Amino acid sequence: MNDDRKSILEMLAAGKITTDEAERLLAALNPKPASSAADAPDAYASPSAPASGKAKSPKYLRVLVEADESTTGLRGGPTTVNVRVPMQLLRAGVRLAGLIPPQAHDQLDQAFSKHGVPITLSQIKPENLEELIDHLGDLTVDVDGKDDNKTRVRVFCE
Amino acid sequence: MIPWSASIRVHWTTPHPAGLHATAPRTHRIRLWIPLFLVWLLLLPLVLVLFPFVALAGIFVRVNALRLYSAVWSILNSLRHTLVEVHSPAANVRVHLA
Repeated sequence: MNDDRKSILEMLAAGKITTDEAERLLAALNPKPASSAADAPDAYASPSAPASGKAKSPKYLRVLVEADESTTGLRGGPTTVNVRVPMQLLRAGVRLAGLIPPQAHDQLDQAFSKHGVPITLSQIKPENLEELIDHLGDLTVDVDGKDDNKTRVRVFCE
Repeated sequence: MIPWSASIRVHWTTPHPAGLHATAPRTHRIRLWIPLFLVWLLLLPLVLVLFPFVALAGIFVRVNALRLYSAVWSILNSLRHTLVEVHSPAANVRVHLA
């Protein structure tokens, strides 16, 4: 038993800290390893967290769709769609959006809003996009069909 | 880096027409490997020839031609490792940019 754990247990025994506080202190000393055994082997399982180090910036946006016969109307088995798009394409798209003259931004924003897409083009900047991409690493969208419908949609970053 | 090659694979089946001999559906396959680097080499002279006209048009629409070329180049560079796969009972399609 190392000194840190011993001192935590001594403080708990002396009543200086509560059991919750002791548990948090012990957890801080021994961070849990990332779980890997429970993950299903197929492509539609939840992606496991990296085993060590902080999460890397995602490189690809993945979209997986599995639709059964009742959804597609095609007999003979399910239909699957697998799309992998590099995140660099988002960055390049922002650079392309930067070419739009500022005078046209207002008109485009109004046109987007009219069609139900509330986007402000002037706020699409590379620094905002990097923050968005970093947060996309935690994004996972799972959509399962209702009742007997076995349609599944997964959107995630890797 | 810009994608150097594109592989396209398409499999599809066509049902045999009714009334004829009872045989299995026919399977068709197309496999293409396209050396995109040759496509870029062929397009490069065209891009260079068109640059003055694009620059002139950019002056009228207030778009910097160099920034436009830079943005298009960025998009081409980001297409590498793009993958699209569709599998259905009737057809399979796979497009991969490497």
